[in-house]
Amino acid sequence: MFIVLSPNSGVPVYRQLIEQIRLQVAGGRLAPGDEMPSTRNLSAQLGVNPMTVSKAYTQLEREGVLERRPGRPLVVRALPPDQARTRKLEQVRESLEGAVTTIRQLDVPTDEALRLLREMLERQSEET
Amino acid sequence: MTVLEFNDIRRAYRRGENVLDGVSFGVGAGEVVGLLGRNGAGKTTLIRIAMGMIEPQDGEVRVFGMDPARDPLEIKRRIGYVSEEQTLPGFMSIGDLIRLHRGLFPDWDDMMAEGLCDRYDLDWDKKVKTLSKGQARQVALLCAVSHKPELLILDEPAGGLDPAARRDFLETSIQLLNETGSTILFSSHHMSDVERMAGRVVMLHNGKVLLDDPLDELQENMAVAILPHAEGRAAELQGMPECLGVRDRIEGLHTVLRLDPARARTAVEDSLGVRDGRYDRLGLEEMFIEIAEGQS
Repeated sequence: MFIVLSPNSGVPVYRQLIEQIRLQVAGGRLAPGDEMPSTRNLSAQLGVNPMTVSKAYTQLEREGVLERRPGRPLVVRALPPDQARTRKLEQVRESLEGAVTTIRQLDVPTDEALRLLREMLERQSEET
Repeated sequence: MTVLEFNDIRRAYRRGENVLDGVSFGVGAGEVVGLLGRNGAGKTTLIRIAMGMIEPQDGEVRVFGMDPARDPLEIKRRIGYVSEEQTLPGFMSIGDLIRLHRGLFPDWDDMMAEGLCDRYDLDWDKKVKTLSKGQARQVALLCAVSHKPELLILDEPAGGLDPAARRDFLETSIQLLNETGSTILFSSHHMSDVERMAGRVVMLHNGKVLLDDPLDELQENMAVAILPHAEGRAAELQGMPECLGVRDRIEGLHTVLRLDPARARTAVEDSLGVRDGRYDRLGLEEMFIEIAEGQS
């Protein structure tokens, strides 16, 4: 699994794990039914305390992103399409929060900020 | 179960100058505790007391419920220990040293020792005195973990090592955690290693425990506020119960608060009436600097 930790970001490692796994599920990089690496393997792969991995897994299980079945590896849970959409939007909302703060702090009017966002989105879809 | 316990430990090297001035905390089975503090804060002294290398002048230390000064052998068999200043006998070869340890520890795991030898690319025939600093430390770690100790104590284990050797060290400790569920107490100045390893951090300052918290909670509930200078403001900030330190800098007063950034803003605005502050999360490294430097 592809996870990059950013040390010294002020974000606890277990939160970084949760966010990146959520993102990969929302983005389809991890598909329903995909098996997660064991706590031990992911801990060894990333060089982090196994308790940290297990804390992230437990929370993702509680949120319904992952599913644990007795005697089997943890897997990504299948989601009904409307929930998948909600989750995607939640991810977008989270990553936009920083931008919103900047927009307010710099006193940029809402319509200008929206215009900028639209432009950026259009430019991206032209490029790809 | 408490594996390691310090109870009101005091120790001075010279009369009247306590290196440790009433240190108390315990480490539970399976916990990984990072011991932080500036040079001279008392970390090494505390670790040496746990190892039974020196005795406290006051207070009590217990390792597996025993006194390290009275039951050194029984305790040492169950501990692994690496320190920055450790010296290995230079005349011995790596192989000799491994065989020596193998004979001393009934639980020695050949597979683990050989695996580590391969990983570190160590040559059994090489004499210890010909090893680089990094290789010598790797041999020390191999000897400290291959009997699968219940408690691993590392005193600045990565001091003077290059980043690759440091990572090997970290990965070996994590392997031990995964395979044996060992308890670990380690001191380090490398905050990124602390972030990866520690479940809890204890920070010493002037011989006292300044912080003792689960690392995740600490990171989630800690902010730095940068406020414009004003007459008497530093004292007002220091008076806030959540304040962990105030540092006078050119751009303003840096204050570390035990609150997340949003709550920190509310608390400062409510108690000081200052509106034009900046509030941010802190990486562990900044946190360390702000707190260590912010003590009056």
